[in-house]
Amino acid sequence: MRLSTIFYLYRVRLRARLVQELLAVAGIAVGVALLFASQVANTSLSGSVTRLTDELVGTARLQVVARAPQGFDERFVSEAERLPGVSVAAPMLERSVNVVGPNGVETVDLIGVDRRFIQLNGPLLEHISAGQLYRQHGLALPVPIAEKIGVKSLQSLTVQIGAKNVPTILALELNATDIGAGVANPVAIMPLQAAQSLTGMTGRVSRILVEPYQGHDSEVRRGLQRIAAGKLDVQPANFDASIFGQAEGPTVQSTELFSAISALVGFLFAFNAMLLTVPQRRSLITDLRLDGYTPLEILEVMLFDVLALGIIGTLVGLVLGDFLSHSLLQAQPGYLSLAFPVGSQHVVSWQSVAIATLGGLLAAVVGVIVPLRGEIFGYRPVGAHAKRAPMRIGRALAIAGGLMCTVLTTMLLLRGIETVSTAVLAFVSLTLSLLLILPSTFSGIISLVDRLQRPVMGVSSRIAVIELLSSTTRARSLSIAATGAIAVFGSVSIEGAHSNLREGLVRSAANLSMGTDIWVSPSGGSTTLATTPFEDRYGGRLMRLSKVASVEPYRGGFLNVGDRRVLVLAPPKTDPRLVSATQLVVGNLALARSRMREGRWVTVSQELADERHLRVGGSFVLLAPRPMAFRVAAITTNFGWSPGTIIMNSDDYARAWQSQDVSAYQVSLRPGVTVEEGLREVRSAIEPDTALVVQSAAQHEQNEIAGQRQGLARLTDIAALVLVAAALAMAAAMGAMLWQRRPRLAGMKVDGFGQGELWAALLWESALLLGTGCSVGAIFGLYGQLVLSHALVSVTGFPVVFSMGVSVAIACIAVVTAIALLVVALPGYLAVQVKPALQE
Amino acid sequence: MLQLDEVVKHYRVGDGEIIRAVDGVSLSVAAGELVALYGPSGSGKTTLLMLIAGLLTPDSGSVRVNGREVSRLSARERAHYRRSELGFIRQSLDLIPGVRADDNAALKLLASTGRRDAQRRVAPLLERLGLNGRAVQRAEQLSMGERQRVMIARALSTSPSLVLADEPTGSLDTDRGREVLTLLAEICHERNVGVLLVTHDPRAAAFADQVHALRDGRIAHYQPDNSHLPFEVQ
Repeated sequence: MRLSTIFYLYRVRLRARLVQELLAVAGIAVGVALLFASQVANTSLSGSVTRLTDELVGTARLQVVARAPQGFDERFVSEAERLPGVSVAAPMLERSVNVVGPNGVETVDLIGVDRRFIQLNGPLLEHISAGQLYRQHGLALPVPIAEKIGVKSLQSLTVQIGAKNVPTILALELNATDIGAGVANPVAIMPLQAAQSLTGMTGRVSRILVEPYQGHDSEVRRGLQRIAAGKLDVQPANFDASIFGQAEGPTVQSTELFSAISALVGFLFAFNAMLLTVPQRRSLITDLRLDGYTPLEILEVMLFDVLALGIIGTLVGLVLGDFLSHSLLQAQPGYLSLAFPVGSQHVVSWQSVAIATLGGLLAAVVGVIVPLRGEIFGYRPVGAHAKRAPMRIGRALAIAGGLMCTVLTTMLLLRGIETVSTAVLAFVSLTLSLLLILPSTFSGIISLVDRLQRPVMGVSSRIAVIELLSSTTRARSLSIAATGAIAVFGSVSIEGAHSNLREGLVRSAANLSMGTDIWVSPSGGSTTLATTPFEDRYGGRLMRLSKVASVEPYRGGFLNVGDRRVLVLAPPKTDPRLVSATQLVVGNLALARSRMREGRWVTVSQELADERHLRVGGSFVLLAPRPMAFRVAAITTNFGWSPGTIIMNSDDYARAWQSQDVSAYQVSLRPGVTVEEGLREVRSAIEPDTALVVQSAAQHEQNEIAGQRQGLARLTDIAALVLVAAALAMAAAMGAMLWQRRPRLAGMKVDGFGQGELWAALLWESALLLGTGCSVGAIFGLYGQLVLSHALVSVTGFPVVFSMGVSVAIACIAVVTAIALLVVALPGYLAVQVKPALQE
Repeated sequence: MLQLDEVVKHYRVGDGEIIRAVDGVSLSVAAGELVALYGPSGSGKTTLLMLIAGLLTPDSGSVRVNGREVSRLSARERAHYRRSELGFIRQSLDLIPGVRADDNAALKLLASTGRRDAQRRVAPLLERLGLNGRAVQRAEQLSMGERQRVMIARALSTSPSLVLADEPTGSLDTDRGREVLTLLAEICHERNVGVLLVTHDPRAAAFADQVHALRDGRIAHYQPDNSHLPFEVQ
């Protein structure tokens, strides 16, 4: 058939079914948007780290990195330069600092570099000459950061480095022309010497980026390892980007799971909408077949429908998804920025576009071709109804299949969900079970309502039951119910698991915070994990205060262990908890605490212990700045840091890191002194001339909880989005279905049914449909919650508290049903306004 | 039972022209009487039925059913009147698709009773209409004649005193049409129900107690044209 003929057929049919086609386009668009938005949110997170790493390292392929924020002697740089095969060896000082202006505070990665860095041709300083860099005596900040803190070029600002407030000026505002996409990264750039002076790290650097001559990589690596002498790490230059995957894992995996659920909801939305257009397409196929067109020609006509729907729906969905990823899902997990240079870039990969586009086209193909395959390929006679397997056999098979899937999930759960793929299999199996069991459950509930209605219900509910018993609209009814079921299932599962995780994190935060009365630590984001070291100059001043009983140093930092950036926490020996019962996975709590106080004993989080084959009592060498052997006192959760956590006592940390610097002070008050009194005294002694903040244990705990929650906040956003999308999807499908029923409503009015009765009947029907779908989804969601919570424990090692989120389930049912009913009420009301008529 | 006196209903169309849909119609239908009203398309048949059903109000004249003036009933009373006193057999065969025959027939009874009870109450009616064994079939599994009989069952389900039948044989073949007309006539007499049969099927005259013609909104003398009929009009 000629394309022009196909197009003509499409155009003339469109007039009669414009509303239904627009609904179908909207359905595909919503599905594509949900999928695309969550994909972009993920790629933006990892993409921003990859981009900044690439921009920093330029043509460098290797690096020598310090294991501690204090860095290493810069004499290593000239040794590296002298190695045979080295083209460029560029030193870099890196330090996490806060920049403070009149409008606020931002945490940035301070980068100090010299002319050798420019030789690496990294895009970050591509447009800045060596001369410019040297002439700069202050800080250079990307324009967005400068604007946020309210500072312009040549104006003064304060840099908080550990406990110190250092005044400086903003020498340069960097825009996209200067540093390209790096403008979206939280960085501050200074000449190396100025940065060393500002940070008090004269003669020290954090890393050396090395570009070997072509073919000399191995030789240079060996030379660098010799210089490092086991105290520094020699790694590929882009190592940060590659290990970031470990840290962002939980966020990405949970977002991906949500993407899949979003896509399923979107697909059901599209499928519902396209079912509305099936009668028109069926009648066209009948006409074409009677006119002698071949199945291939009919398929061409239908494929044109697919392309028109798929392409328009996908394009609208991509635009909508891009908007969502900008507006709703842009919040980045800030806790990751303590260990990685996470920016706010918006990274759209071709894979995200391809996945979303394929999803949209697939929905169109399934929605258009599958319901009409019999008619298109001619194995169903014109005008005949689809032959169905006998109802009872079909139902029995579906129930059997559903139960088998539930059994599979249960078996996986009992065996232990230890990998992401097992978690996905268990969840997919549960989803399948839900979809297979839903039709029978739906019939059962309608039948139950049918039996109950005489004593308790009126004419409207009876009409609603009759309509729901219709086999003709069963596919559409089930499809609408399935949309609600999947959305509520997904939301209850994820929100429930999320809430279990939150509870676990709260306990973890309590464990980390409640070992003392008052915390004194550097301000900014680092407060939460206490990982910014500063010189131990304030302990004595604090001890002299009248209300203070004791002051103990708390230490902590990040350390690369293999391909994991592990969080090392070092409370003082006197901390009564050291490690709490709620975080203990394997080991004896009292014994572990006493061994840790002895020294040279640590706790290791589960995934790290598994990877390194460590058991309680076993020993290992920790490649800290000074490699030291430790023994494992206990196995714990990871305290919410997915790459892994190690806890040791503060003195061991000082020995291994070869530094007496502290990350915080734990201040205990004298008996009878209230926390408020203590806070007042400590604040007046410390805060005026330092960058330290003084918090009660409860405030510190709240800060920590807030920081940890940030990592999973996106889940709540997507869960809400899925719920709203599902409610709208069901409302749209229900609304269209009710609108199509007007001729019959006109006839029922002739038979004496009142407008109010008919409207109530439509609302009853919607409520039964939506309520059934959502309730079944909620019940499965509670099981899904259990699966996901176990998966979180096993796969991510997060501290999770197991509980059944029944309130979450009820809230989800209520939200979806209420929104959908409210939206359906209007088209239902308008539909029953139809005038009584004798003829259709 | 039904008494129409000088009923007038005019419509004004877009360009100001007045259509005299019903123009001074008078007729009566007694209990147990089947009255056939013939008329071509546009003769005012449907408007007349809507006036009798209380779906339209006459410009003048009177529509009385069981002694009550229909136009004076409130909206709620009219709905109740249509539901309980009137049976409507429509041409459109608007059964609910995918729903069993007995549920379709019992639809009007749902206003007063539950579904199971309604099914039980229409069962004898369906049997009387020759649909025994077909009650559990879905609407689309029934033949056109069977569907029409389900519509008749629905109309009779509330034991109305008056049945309005709008072209009940319009979509049926000769044999099925005759079956339906026979059934209507039998039920009319058995149940003492007044039936106003609006049609342009000439065979209907053979079953009617009175026959009228409606032309341009007025009652006219009926002159049967029997030449094409496969049976003899008595």
